[in-house]
Amino acid sequence: MTSKLAILLVAGVTAVCAQETALDHSVNINLPPDSPLTLISENLGESHVTQRGSAVVLDLDVTLTLHNSSPNRVRGVTLLVAAQEVTPGGKASVSVPSLDVAPSQNFPVHIDLRLLRPAQIAGGPLVQVNLDGVLFQDYSFYGPNRLDSRRTMTAWEMQAQRERKYFKSILAMHGVAGLKQAMLESLNRQAERPRLDVQVSRGRAVTSAAEHNARFAFLRFPDEPVEPVEGWAEIAGNEARNPRIDVRNLSSRQVRSVEIDWIVTDRQGKQYMAGSVPASGPEFNLRAGSTSRVLQDTALRFARLANDGGAPVSIAGMTGFVGQVEFADGKVWIPNREALANAQLLGILEPSPEEQRLTDLYRKKGPKALADELNKF
Amino acid sequence: MTHPNQSTLALYAGQDLGWFTRRRTERHLTRCGDCRSEVQAFASARDNLIALDELPAISWNRLSGEMKANIRLGLAAGECVRGERTTGRVASFGFLSGARTLTACASAMALVAAGLLLQRPNPAPQPAATGDSAVWRATANGIELNQGGRTLSLLHAPSGDVTYSAGAQGSMRASYVDSDTGNMTINNLYDQ
Repeated sequence: MTSKLAILLVAGVTAVCAQETALDHSVNINLPPDSPLTLISENLGESHVTQRGSAVVLDLDVTLTLHNSSPNRVRGVTLLVAAQEVTPGGKASVSVPSLDVAPSQNFPVHIDLRLLRPAQIAGGPLVQVNLDGVLFQDYSFYGPNRLDSRRTMTAWEMQAQRERKYFKSILAMHGVAGLKQAMLESLNRQAERPRLDVQVSRGRAVTSAAEHNARFAFLRFPDEPVEPVEGWAEIAGNEARNPRIDVRNLSSRQVRSVEIDWIVTDRQGKQYMAGSVPASGPEFNLRAGSTSRVLQDTALRFARLANDGGAPVSIAGMTGFVGQVEFADGKVWIPNREALANAQLLGILEPSPEEQRLTDLYRKKGPKALADELNKF
Repeated sequence: MTHPNQSTLALYAGQDLGWFTRRRTERHLTRCGDCRSEVQAFASARDNLIALDELPAISWNRLSGEMKANIRLGLAAGECVRGERTTGRVASFGFLSGARTLTACASAMALVAAGLLLQRPNPAPQPAATGDSAVWRATANGIELNQGGRTLSLLHAPSGDVTYSAGAQGSMRASYVDSDTGNMTINNLYDQ
């Protein structure tokens, strides 16, 4: 009898603790008064809050309708979505690249994610949505840029132009049939791209007897403004830690940030995209002709995907290449498609957001709709 | 037949008897099986004690020197205090001086020595492989956050293709075409 009562009590407490409530009036959308975007409407959809012990889990399903009140075409938007900024899981961003929003036009942004917030924090809206940046067609930028969204959105827009140029050239040379063939090749590449289950953690103090310093091999591009000189990471089994890469500025312009893309090779010689190692901020000062170090206090662990057994993947080698360079004037360099193809990277790298968008459009609406879309630009 | 007492047999087993008593005990043992068994039992117990007494490498000479030095220091300090106290009002605490102070210091040293003797070597603790640091994980089902042994999915894989990428600065990114808006959408989750 006593045990039944205890079970009922526990079940009741659990039900009360895990109670879901709607997220009405708890999401604050903040757009500055001089913002080029204005909020037309917000729809909280199925957003809800769940209490879990000492934390509150916020499931966001928010659709914003924004209005382009600027005279320029909008190419990308990044919103900072925060429930709290102290512990992991409280902050996220939602970016919408590859846009083409004309002045006075409305467009939707869907926020679909989950955030954590300590239950003790009282008062105020549970979620704050702030504009971090807007990128326009002429690469001008508006916003506080707290998340370095100027660089990332500029790089995405440059990648978008690169992919559209490539597929448009195929359309021009080989017609819709050629475009269809190129799309099928891209879809195959995306499906067959080797993928791993990747774990990232910051500032971990892991030591192991089997740990050793491994040297990066570098891929070079003919027109790269920054060259990787040498680099190392600490390797222990399936974990790579603390990458540090020396880079030299080959250009005559000051460089504000560099992003090195990181590929790992397993014992069978198969290559996987591991992640990117960015370096920016005031401490990273790369004047013309100077050398600086890209480093991150981080650990990456690799395992096969769960449907492939989930076994750890031992790292046998590492390759790096310069994926992005941002100059002091805000201009960005990315490798061109020919260089990526020559280095046989297209089958390893993640598809750019624009290539992902175009192949999705082809799959859903066919080659004619894709050709029409390409011809809009 | 008169048997040697147990103390004699124990001392014989430990080879600690004098020459004359040892000879006499040996003669007895050649005739008495019961006493031989007792001697063997004492010898066996002694071997076991020796095995149990394997201690970590301790510099006994150094320890002995330190103990002696501490005792001398205590005695010297006691002398100083006694010299002052005999001239003052607190001289009535004279019971702390002399042999008693020596006994107190020796007892303290004996306690320290016992602590050292009782301390058995323990394997050095391995550095923690995982702390409370947050671990982001990109799986086929979405992005998970693991902290303090608890895992929470922060981003479910939407229908359709999702591309995940890790940022060494402590972020995890998911790129997909949003089924509601048709827009390419990139969600980024940050360490802090």
